[in-house]
Amino acid sequence: MAYNSKEKETPNWKKDFPVKKDEATHVSRREFAKFLCLLSGGMALGNGIIAIKSFAFPSKELEGEHFICNTSDVAIGQTKEFIIEGEKNIPYLLIHLSEGKWRAFEQKCTHLSCAVRYNAEINKIECPCHKGFFDADTGTVLAGPPPRPLPQLSVHIKNEKVYVSAYKESKTIS
Amino acid sequence: MSDFREAQNQAHPNKTNTLMVGIIFLLIGIVGIQIWLLYGTLNNALSENQGFALAAAIGSFVFFFLALFLLKYLPDARGKSRRN
Repeated sequence: MAYNSKEKETPNWKKDFPVKKDEATHVSRREFAKFLCLLSGGMALGNGIIAIKSFAFPSKELEGEHFICNTSDVAIGQTKEFIIEGEKNIPYLLIHLSEGKWRAFEQKCTHLSCAVRYNAEINKIECPCHKGFFDADTGTVLAGPPPRPLPQLSVHIKNEKVYVSAYKESKTIS
Repeated sequence: MSDFREAQNQAHPNKTNTLMVGIIFLLIGIVGIQIWLLYGTLNNALSENQGFALAAAIGSFVFFFLALFLLKYLPDARGKSRRN
């Protein structure tokens, strides 16, 4: 009981800074274990918020056709950057691959969102940040760290004007 | 009336250290897996892969409750165990 009464007299600040080394290390390991548990809770919470957000606010598909430019504005092998105004302002890259062959891809690399560019010499889309390469025809990853293909839009040519709409696999792109 | 923890302390007074290290390593492993799940969720949710996001979130919560459960086995503070 004598030990207990002595402990009661010890002020709180002294308990926080134990004099004996073994007591200090012992307590800190307990605190460390509790901190790891707190961190684990934070991770679970973060994961839950992302899941809820992805279900509650799914990204909407692009609606309708959007005029980009005239066909004469972009020569073969050239590109044009454009943004479709909407919920999110996503930058896109319009590429004139060959006569009558157009492609439009999201300009953000799927690795770390660097702006990709079209290299006409090798006919590939490249990310200059970490040397990621994408197929200019399909947007699939050819080399480097990007985990997914570039999202793309369907390109339609009507009366010498270039329009884009949401990409659908079945659609033939001219 | 003695409980399991008290009986263990009496039988193996030096076991506290091993137990503490074991729990910390398990917790580090749990947090490591959760970081991996979170990274995967971010990557997949961005490409509208919601099924993975949900499975990873459930998994992450299971690991969190496992970590909470492990705290039950944390040895008492030195001062307290001395008194016992």
